[in-house]
Amino acid sequence: MSILLWSLAGALALGWSLGPAPAHAQAPIKIGASLSLTGTYAKPGTYQKEGYEVCADELNAKGGLLGRKVEFVMYDDQSSTQTAQRLYEKLITEDKVDAVMGPYSSGITESVAGISEKYKKVLVSPLAATTSIFRQGRKYIFMVISPAEVYLEGFVDMAAKRGLKTIAVVNEDTLFPKASTAGTVELAKKRGLQIVLQESYPKGNTDFSALLVKIKAANPDIIAAATYFDDAVAITRQMRELNVNPKMFAVTVGGDIPEFYTLLKTNGEYVYGATQWDEALPYPGQKEFLGAYTKKFKHEPSYHAAAGYAGCLIYAEAVKRAKSLDADLVRTELLKLKMRTAFGDYAVDQDGFQTAHKMVMIQWQDGKRIVVWPDDLANGKPRFPTPPWNQR
Amino acid sequence: MLGQVVISGLLAGALYSMVALGLGLIFGVMRVLNVSHGPLLMLGAYTTFWLFQWLGLNPYVSLVVSMPLLFMVGMGLQRLFVRRVVDAPELSTLLLTFGISIALVNLAQLAFTADLRSVEFLTGSFVVGPFAFSKSRVIACAFAIVITMAAFVFLKTTRLGKAIRAVSQSREVAQVCGIDVGRIHMLAFGIGSALAAAGGTLVAVMVAIQPEMGQVYTFKSFLVIVLGGAGNYPGALLGGLLLGLIEQMSSLFLTTQINEAVAYVLLVLVLLVRPTGLLKGRAS
Repeated sequence: MSILLWSLAGALALGWSLGPAPAHAQAPIKIGASLSLTGTYAKPGTYQKEGYEVCADELNAKGGLLGRKVEFVMYDDQSSTQTAQRLYEKLITEDKVDAVMGPYSSGITESVAGISEKYKKVLVSPLAATTSIFRQGRKYIFMVISPAEVYLEGFVDMAAKRGLKTIAVVNEDTLFPKASTAGTVELAKKRGLQIVLQESYPKGNTDFSALLVKIKAANPDIIAAATYFDDAVAITRQMRELNVNPKMFAVTVGGDIPEFYTLLKTNGEYVYGATQWDEALPYPGQKEFLGAYTKKFKHEPSYHAAAGYAGCLIYAEAVKRAKSLDADLVRTELLKLKMRTAFGDYAVDQDGFQTAHKMVMIQWQDGKRIVVWPDDLANGKPRFPTPPWNQR
Repeated sequence: MLGQVVISGLLAGALYSMVALGLGLIFGVMRVLNVSHGPLLMLGAYTTFWLFQWLGLNPYVSLVVSMPLLFMVGMGLQRLFVRRVVDAPELSTLLLTFGISIALVNLAQLAFTADLRSVEFLTGSFVVGPFAFSKSRVIACAFAIVITMAAFVFLKTTRLGKAIRAVSQSREVAQVCGIDVGRIHMLAFGIGSALAAAGGTLVAVMVAIQPEMGQVYTFKSFLVIVLGGAGNYPGALLGGLLLGLIEQMSSLFLTTQINEAVAYVLLVLVLLVRPTGLLKGRAS
């Protein structure tokens, strides 16, 4: 009896694993990711998710990948590193996805990179900009955007060219803003700017009064804030409330997305933002991406969306060249690949660290995001200096 | 510099006092620590946002909508859920209100999405000499003071207010005197929620609105009523102002990064040294 049962089970299992070949060939390629759809990073995380979706649509419209349909399996990590870790474990071990793509933010990427390495999964991480993540000898992680350290290169450059002398730098106390601040301080010193104040604040902070009072007392020519989004909005508002008047004010992340202006209205004028991408930049495939995105989501993309989109295309291109989903083959192709997408250039060094992509600086002018740096990509001049709040 | 920080601290503190008074009232009357206090504040903020968005209603005028609305919501929550745990062990009340809190935040996320919203109204400040008084914060502070005072007058002088205080002093004796304790519980929860809603309306003009904005006020309110003495209503006033000042001062003299740590260390110290609060709390 038991022998019969066992052989039956064996036959079933065998039948299962061999399966009818054509059905297998047509099963979709499942790509897993966790994204911050709620919590502090909800805004950029949602954009990134939408970027992934546009990419999947585009791939599927062109016949899929390796002849198979592409399907994203995405969960909400609530902007929490612990939740993201759990979700990547689940995606890989329970959902058995064929590939994974990166989550939003450097902190969360750093926390899940160990998991993708453990299971030998390629992790193209479109929204992780902290250098250290890619300098730990990890094999399967790839960077898409410019590193945190150079976010405000343009801001420092513009200030130095205009003969400004002093700078205050503040940042959220998490991985990316810290790296961003370190880079900015380094660049500022190199250009002869004096750091008159440097301070960090905890994630989720909403009251910046005391910090801004200190900045006001230090009276810097320019203020650089390494932010995400909520804090960028809050700092700008409270600068107005406390009448803090630098000649230039820049934020790293958040200042470049449309909601920044929707929330702040005219108080967002003159603020500089760093961005990895702008829809006005003359990159190939830009028009197609913008068209597909606005048609699907009825609003304009941010760079997070474009980076997500491009990261997914880059992964797909490597799979095409490798003609396989095998992590080691795809990795070899990703290391060799040089590609220009709607997001700009992609190329990496042996660590998977981005070497080709360029940052731009934007400024809000009459409700529009104008690219003001670098000169060869700019579509407008910076409005300098920023007038005091009571003269607007 | 110090002056400016004291101003910011007191402006924020008045608001904390009002919100914490709501929490203190509920705790005093029912011995229920309402973890969903912050999310109720969030609902108040959304009420103001939508009225401003749809009808262009002045956010301060929307107090007359948000407070009664959340008063009703509060009474409903009490009638449906909280009533059942009034005499249960403290853990049950914490778990229940924690559950309500999670449910409210997620419902808000579902209904309003996680998008940040803001009520752009009265940005900017009055500049007086070297000091800047944020317009929205000054007005919020003024409203908070008026509402808090009104609540005090209500508790001190009206028959209902006296009944509420009687229940919070001794439920049995109040009951023997013919006070309908169940009704008082419901009203107290409603009033507490209305105070949270007033807080929500006032902060809606100052900070970005999102479903998770409330929790931080739950914790701040805990701090305030511990500092002031649980069940001690004037203590809430003092505790709120104190918390506002402590936060700002520690940001100024230390760094912004540790101002919360400072506040909570203080909480632990107060619990160790003066567990009844800085003003003498009600012995329980």
